[in-house]
Amino acid sequence: MEHIWDFESVFTNWRLLLIGLGNTVLLAVVCLGIGLFLGLFIGAARYSKNRLLNVPASVFVEVFRNTPALVQIMWFFFAFPIISPFRIDSFTAATLGLSLNTAAFCSEIYRAGIQSIHRGQWEAAKALGMRYGEQMRRVILPQAMRRMIPAFMNRAIELTKMTSLASVIAFGELVHQAKTISTIEFNPIETYTVVGLIFFIMIWPIAIAVRGLERRLSRHE
Amino acid sequence: MTELLKIENLNKSFGALEVLKGIDLTVEKGETVVILGSSGSGKSTLLRCVNFMEIPTSGRIAIAGKPVGTERSRASGRIQVDYRESELIGIRATVGMVFQHFNLFPHMTAFGNVMEGPRTVLKLPRGECEARAETYLSKVGLADKMHSYPAHLSGGQQQRVAIARALAMEPQLMLFDEATSALDPELVGEVLQTIRSLADEGMTMLIVTHELGFAYSVASKVLFLSDGVILEQGAPDDVLVRPKQQRTRDFLRGHATYKLPDLAIT
Repeated sequence: MEHIWDFESVFTNWRLLLIGLGNTVLLAVVCLGIGLFLGLFIGAARYSKNRLLNVPASVFVEVFRNTPALVQIMWFFFAFPIISPFRIDSFTAATLGLSLNTAAFCSEIYRAGIQSIHRGQWEAAKALGMRYGEQMRRVILPQAMRRMIPAFMNRAIELTKMTSLASVIAFGELVHQAKTISTIEFNPIETYTVVGLIFFIMIWPIAIAVRGLERRLSRHE
Repeated sequence: MTELLKIENLNKSFGALEVLKGIDLTVEKGETVVILGSSGSGKSTLLRCVNFMEIPTSGRIAIAGKPVGTERSRASGRIQVDYRESELIGIRATVGMVFQHFNLFPHMTAFGNVMEGPRTVLKLPRGECEARAETYLSKVGLADKMHSYPAHLSGGQQQRVAIARALAMEPQLMLFDEATSALDPELVGEVLQTIRSLADEGMTMLIVTHELGFAYSVASKVLFLSDGVILEQGAPDDVLVRPKQQRTRDFLRGHATYKLPDLAIT
């Protein structure tokens, strides 16, 4: 059977795709921001000596790293509203699932980055009379951050792809918009091809940048 | 002469391992005390207890006449002391330390490294921190390398920046923990000269080193540490030339197995 390619019908719906792209980027950026911020505190809590901090933080990280992101999103959309007093729309549910998921992974990146800094750096900072927070902020984090950047960028790539999972709870990101277009136009092959390409064009440059950065960082050390 | 450092019956254990067993030591202001001993004798631990990088298991340390911490008990000679971290942070800011592996901050220039203490710890105004950085980098002979990153400096230069970084805090006491042990032999001299000039200016210093010639020429007092106790102490001539203990003699012999004739270096 010969398929007659009809990309015209995809492009006449460019407005829908544009909205989808906007929502995909919005979801990814918001979740990355929250994930990076929360991850730092969860990472710090997890490696604190206080059990009241480290036990809950460890449980959090293990739960989010060892369950599918799709389940997390669906849980926040379908289950969470039942046990909480809040009404939750699809954007909020997707944001909750994906940003907590990202926070769990980021906390591990922070930990590995900080642990990669030589003990002598802590010692030198301490010997100068710095407090723990000053040692961290002035000496350890600036060095660790540079080593963490490639890992965070990889996280951003994963996250951007994971936003497509939000289509199952009818959040209007790219894949959900594609579903809509293909239902109206009966052209799933063309629509999903175009959506795949859009993702590729968005993500590929980041992937190349990560590789470049990794090469540069390894040269300096 | 005034007493700058007084250590009384200092003990330090790591788990079951007793590293320091009852150290008593007094250092006068302006003295240069060199600590010798084979590896594992407790030299570094002793040094690290002075600025509380290690917390003593028992014993009393007084700096500039002020005992650190609050004494809890004095049972059978063991002095138990409680320390508050905030007090120890204050002590560390007044005691400079130079490490074997320099431990410069690689993300800052030499200038940034030296400015860091005055800026972050002393919270001095920026202008004053810059002035200090210039003063102390010039003092160690690195005025022309101010804007270099540690990675672009030789080992000897890095260690001199580390010395300037400690001096910029204008400490009352300097600790040198094998400051030349990680250096290529031809770079050792420049660092020793820097330390020597500090001694000449009257800086009070505790120096752990394996450079016996240096110890002989700069020390006002030499300690020989063995198995966590001070086996012998006194003027360089007494400890290094006429040692009383067999252990000290063995140690010195081990360090002087092969020697060039004096003519080779002139």
